[in-house]
Amino acid sequence: MRDISDAADLMATAREALLGELLPALPEDRRYVARMIANVMAIAAREHRLGFDAAQSEAARLRNLLDGIGRPVAPSADPLRADLAPLRAAVRDAIRAGTFDPPQRADALNAALSHTAADWVTISNPKVLRSEAATPNR
Amino acid sequence: MHGTLPDNAMETSAATAIERWLCTQMHTNDVRVTRYERMPGGAIQDNYTLDVEIANGPWRGPHAFVLRTDAPSSVAASLTRAQEFAVLRAAYAAGVAAPKPLFLCRQPDIIGREFFIMERLPGIAPGHRLTREAGLVPDAHALAHALGANLARIHAIRPPIAELDVLAPPAENPALGAVAEYRAYLDRLDDAYPALEWGLRWCERHATLPPAVVLVHRDYRTGNYLVHAGRLTGVLDWEFAAWGDPREDLGWFTARCWRFAGVDREGGGIAPLDPFLRGYESVAGWRISRADLDYWQLVAHIRWAVIALQQAQRHLGGGERSLELALTGRIVHELEYEVLQLIARSAA
Repeated sequence: MRDISDAADLMATAREALLGELLPALPEDRRYVARMIANVMAIAAREHRLGFDAAQSEAARLRNLLDGIGRPVAPSADPLRADLAPLRAAVRDAIRAGTFDPPQRADALNAALSHTAADWVTISNPKVLRSEAATPNR
Repeated sequence: MHGTLPDNAMETSAATAIERWLCTQMHTNDVRVTRYERMPGGAIQDNYTLDVEIANGPWRGPHAFVLRTDAPSSVAASLTRAQEFAVLRAAYAAGVAAPKPLFLCRQPDIIGREFFIMERLPGIAPGHRLTREAGLVPDAHALAHALGANLARIHAIRPPIAELDVLAPPAENPALGAVAEYRAYLDRLDDAYPALEWGLRWCERHATLPPAVVLVHRDYRTGNYLVHAGRLTGVLDWEFAAWGDPREDLGWFTARCWRFAGVDREGGGIAPLDPFLRGYESVAGWRISRADLDYWQLVAHIRWAVIALQQAQRHLGGGERSLELALTGRIVHELEYEVLQLIARSAA
């Protein structure tokens, strides 16, 4: 349905109006709040576009890790819901128990969690990933 | 009360009560509050600009103060105002650049909460400005050196000190103490955080004993000190101070999450790492190893993530709906990402 703006496009358009028309008219001490609102709108628009896939991918990676240590978690009854909470809790418990300490498992865990974190950072603050790429060293 | 600016009745009556209270503290019969207004910022503490005119007695003349009190809801881990006042006195007496603490009021009936009054130092604090506007820091290496030396002066304060009996006794291994504390907090949340858990597990397995137990500031970072005419005037926000491992403050100050616009400048976003560590070494006589600094930078990111979750919880719990607190919750993702990067780098 391209003739009706989707939620992400509505949000982006509203954000442009906030930054382009309202912000310049605000006194200096109120602009901080306006910038925070603009930031929230950008996050919400990105989450609308990318959030479903990020949650599904995270669930798949966590399932894969749990299968790898012989602790599978039963799949969610509703295929449209990623049901992350029990998966995250099961991985937490295995981490605390030291199950991921052996180097090979540690590497697999770190790689999977890094992918997931990068997916969520792409939604919450993508410039972190861009500056990371630009400055490989500390 | 002449020329007072507070525009709401509550602040006006507080200013009147402060005038009366200060008369006894300052041994005078004429204190006039000429300015009393809430300072912006401060998610945990409320700070007020307080200007007074004293007509007679030992404090005769005008004074620029800050009144510091608790915000309506605060983070459980922070000190009371009376404890913070004791820490600030010890630090000031040890020659640390910090606002001079002046009067502590433990009576809740003066302004409704405990508070203390300290001198108001000149300078600019916001990290995004100090790391972006080169004109504010004309000699970045000198500032980083001074910040390192000043931190070492805090770390020269060691137990036992009678006035600091108000602080909890130090953990035998502060790193393991921190791991247990952050796990206990995460256990109180509905959701689990595997990346933070993995970071905590890593810290648990690589923890070492502190070189010494010292007074640690625990929020010593860009954004929490004042710079005036390019020079350090004082370190603020002592509410998290405790006995602990000096390496914790070094990791916190240099962690990527506290570099603001200067992510590639490891010395707090101000300068490279070396001048900061040289300044520290010039007073402390020792220098942290790269491996230890990496370790404590990792701890720093985990700790900031836990605090961010606490702040988001204040918002989500409904006690204090706030856009700023809600957004703080969102930075957990980038902190998790950095924790995982640091683990990968140290394993390589």
